[in-house]
Amino acid sequence: MSDVATPVLLEAREVTVRFGGLVAVDSVSTAFRAGELVGIIGPNGAGKTTFFNAISGVTEPTSGRLLAAGRDLTGAGPHRFAGRGLARTFQTPRVFTDLSVQANIEFGLKFAGRRRRKWIFWGDEVGVPWALRDAAGILRLVGLSEQAALRAGDVTPSQQRLLEIGMALSTRPRVLLLDEVAAGLTEAEVVAMARLIRRLRDELDLTVVWIEHAVKILLRHVERVIVLHQGRKIADGPPREVVRDPQVIEAYLGDEMSEDETVETPDASPTGGRA
Amino acid sequence: MTLGAWLELIGSGLITGGVYALVALGMNLQYGLMRILNIAHGEFLMVGAYLTWMAHTSLGLNPLLMIPVAFAVLGVAGMAIHFLCFRRLVSTSPNLDIFEARGLMVAFGLMFLVQNMVSWIWGGDLRGYDFMTDPVQVGGAPVAGNKLVVFVLALLFSLGLLALLRATLLGKGVRALMQSPVGAQLVGIDTKRLHPFMFGIGLGLSGVAGCLLSMAYTISPSMGEPYTVTALIVITLGGFGSMGGALLGGLLLGVVEAIGMHYTNPSLKALLSYIVFISVLLLRPEGLFTRKTRKA
Amino acid sequence: MNDRQLLTRDLLVLFGLTGWGLSLPYLGSEFMVSMGLTCLMYVALSSSWGLFCGSTRYLSLATSAFFGIGAYTCAMQLEQLGWVATIALGAAVAAGVAIVMGAAVLHLRGTYFAVLTFGMTELIRHAVTYYEKSVTGTVGRVLAVVPERDTIYLTVLLLAVLTVGLSMWVRRTRLGLALMGIGADEQRAQTLGVNTRWVKLAGFAMTAAVAGAVGAAMSVRWTYIDPHTVFNPFIGFQTVLIALIGGAMTLWGPLIAAIVFSLLAETLRLQAPQVYMMSLGLLLILCVLYLPGGLASLRWDTWKLWRDDTRAWWKEKKREWTGEKAREKKRSREQRLV
Repeated sequence: MSDVATPVLLEAREVTVRFGGLVAVDSVSTAFRAGELVGIIGPNGAGKTTFFNAISGVTEPTSGRLLAAGRDLTGAGPHRFAGRGLARTFQTPRVFTDLSVQANIEFGLKFAGRRRRKWIFWGDEVGVPWALRDAAGILRLVGLSEQAALRAGDVTPSQQRLLEIGMALSTRPRVLLLDEVAAGLTEAEVVAMARLIRRLRDELDLTVVWIEHAVKILLRHVERVIVLHQGRKIADGPPREVVRDPQVIEAYLGDEMSEDETVETPDASPTGGRA
Repeated sequence: MTLGAWLELIGSGLITGGVYALVALGMNLQYGLMRILNIAHGEFLMVGAYLTWMAHTSLGLNPLLMIPVAFAVLGVAGMAIHFLCFRRLVSTSPNLDIFEARGLMVAFGLMFLVQNMVSWIWGGDLRGYDFMTDPVQVGGAPVAGNKLVVFVLALLFSLGLLALLRATLLGKGVRALMQSPVGAQLVGIDTKRLHPFMFGIGLGLSGVAGCLLSMAYTISPSMGEPYTVTALIVITLGGFGSMGGALLGGLLLGVVEAIGMHYTNPSLKALLSYIVFISVLLLRPEGLFTRKTRKA
Repeated sequence: MNDRQLLTRDLLVLFGLTGWGLSLPYLGSEFMVSMGLTCLMYVALSSSWGLFCGSTRYLSLATSAFFGIGAYTCAMQLEQLGWVATIALGAAVAAGVAIVMGAAVLHLRGTYFAVLTFGMTELIRHAVTYYEKSVTGTVGRVLAVVPERDTIYLTVLLLAVLTVGLSMWVRRTRLGLALMGIGADEQRAQTLGVNTRWVKLAGFAMTAAVAGAVGAAMSVRWTYIDPHTVFNPFIGFQTVLIALIGGAMTLWGPLIAAIVFSLLAETLRLQAPQVYMMSLGLLLILCVLYLPGGLASLRWDTWKLWRDDTRAWWKEKKREWTGEKAREKKRSREQRLV
């Protein structure tokens, strides 16, 4: 489990996002440490995607502060967040449809993903994980090697999902924000996706923050869950505890969670949390 | 300056302002409803003016008779143009931004086409005719009869449009569409018929404005552009999509221009109106007269 | 075609253009040189416009403003600074104005941006007119000492070649990729690390610099300039039309379109200049409706596509007219109700 000494990579302090009279995110504070695999769940309209938009710089918070690796980035544009190691996917895959799949990955590599080379103009890039060293490597990681030359607009939606993740990885992030990447996938695809996410955290030492509407699959893999309801954070802790939290149950109105009395959580399953 | 002189100045400003309002209303209708920024709008005003002039000088028709004719001709032309040029854009544009950009470009092309067609057919010289030029006494100040007619009719048509939008079912449908396109369609408002119809009404109004203008001023193929630009400024001031704002903005701009023209030279006036235009677009894009709405 | 082949093709065409351009003063008549001059002017203007506005989809109508700024810089400084320095100054001043304008305006999209650039162009025109009238007391300016016709021609040719070369080069750099990314999905590009603000300013300034240089060069050709001629919005409109019809996103589209339209303009200018403008307008409408990528995106399968589209449309109409469509509908409705 996470150690107090592990550095905080991304912190939100009392972040509020207001649109006119509507409060989408209400004073949410939380911190994400290195190597965590955190899930964010909540009923429709809870403000999950808006919160993501705030912590990635896409939407400017009405109030509150955002710190990435200790640096205050409140109000900065998305490219500054990307530069500080924060990558995100979008709920509906936003790929460059006219470029090839490989070119989509290479885009991020040329901008936020650029790293200093060992000897300025040649040699390996400094501080880059082996799996992310080039576009081919990233494609192999997400499983799109065969589609590399295809036009991004022509591949299937689930492949575009994987491409989204690949594009996020091309910026060589420290924190990866995944927005409902399992939505609309078949059973088998969901399992594969979850496995990929675990791999990303385990092998690449990434911090992964994962929003998901399909609560069950998420609860099985994360070690910490944040529950948002009507813009407020109503729970934050291990899945086992969150599942029994009366506020959370009430928020979902007995929907997915309490129907299934024995929801699998990392502590309960044989494989446990982090191996 | 005496009170009488002031009144005369404001009066003349209102007269031009009335025409501005009429033109702006038509353009506003097209943008607010269909997100088509028709910068060729002034050219159709010019066509209306030329049709009236031709009818008057060749056939001897009273220009007042041409008002409904101009409205009808340009209304039908508008529907045809919408069907030919803009309808395809709706199905082929991937998102609203691209649709607006393409609509703007098509309007661009239309501007070139129509302006030069008229110039080719009728030549580039200034033309005009005399109609009701005898002055009429209004509150102690003499006003040319034709200009009075222009003002009254422009105002009537503008108010008529506003009434149509507020009171009739059709108008309510249009307003519903402007606020929420999807919602309106869900309750059964037929956009496929409504859009070309309202586009036609917009062009018809500009045709009427042109017809009115031809009664009191000289016409030329390039007369349309300044009106397009002014209509743009009016819509910006009044708020894109706000009808009442367009009417008020038009009248206001007319008066401000008249006063400006009187005290300074034309270039300064033009300079100032552009400064105002740009400032409003940058600082308060929703217009001066609209209430700030909540972003849904 | 792979990258190297593309590069060779581009370089070959560029050399061809240069060669043709260089030969014109010696082989062609006065008329042809004049036409060539206008042609090269629009090659430069529309290529640089396409480089920024074609990639990013920010439709700028400010070309006339930068052109006029270049012209006025030249008129005011030619005697003091000499030819080359004046051209460079024209480009620099235009770029400076573009940066100021861009900083205010480039965060807006679509129609707002287009309308604003147009408004700013008119603003600058009226500002210069007012300034000249009130402060300097002149209507226009006369350029007394002008370089030779050949010098002007060679300068404009150089500018055109440089602009096309710049276009070729930028497209292969990160800047070009960033511009394209902004046009494809600006927010996405931002989340991938593109500093869109700077990139847009840089692109806009580049377009402006070219327009300013060209304006400075062309001003001496007219020898007398006033705000009405050099800030004429038509220059900007024609640039936009040519670039769009040619294919704003491509390298050669604006170039070919500029050549074709200059030819068209000169041949029609004497008999029926309006027909030229009308055809421009009509072509633009047709392009936007049926060929959004411009003429450069015409491929063999585009014809096939149109033919198939027309066939399908005709088939559908026939179905309607013979009443077959109505009968089908009735049949399917009956089946459903059963």
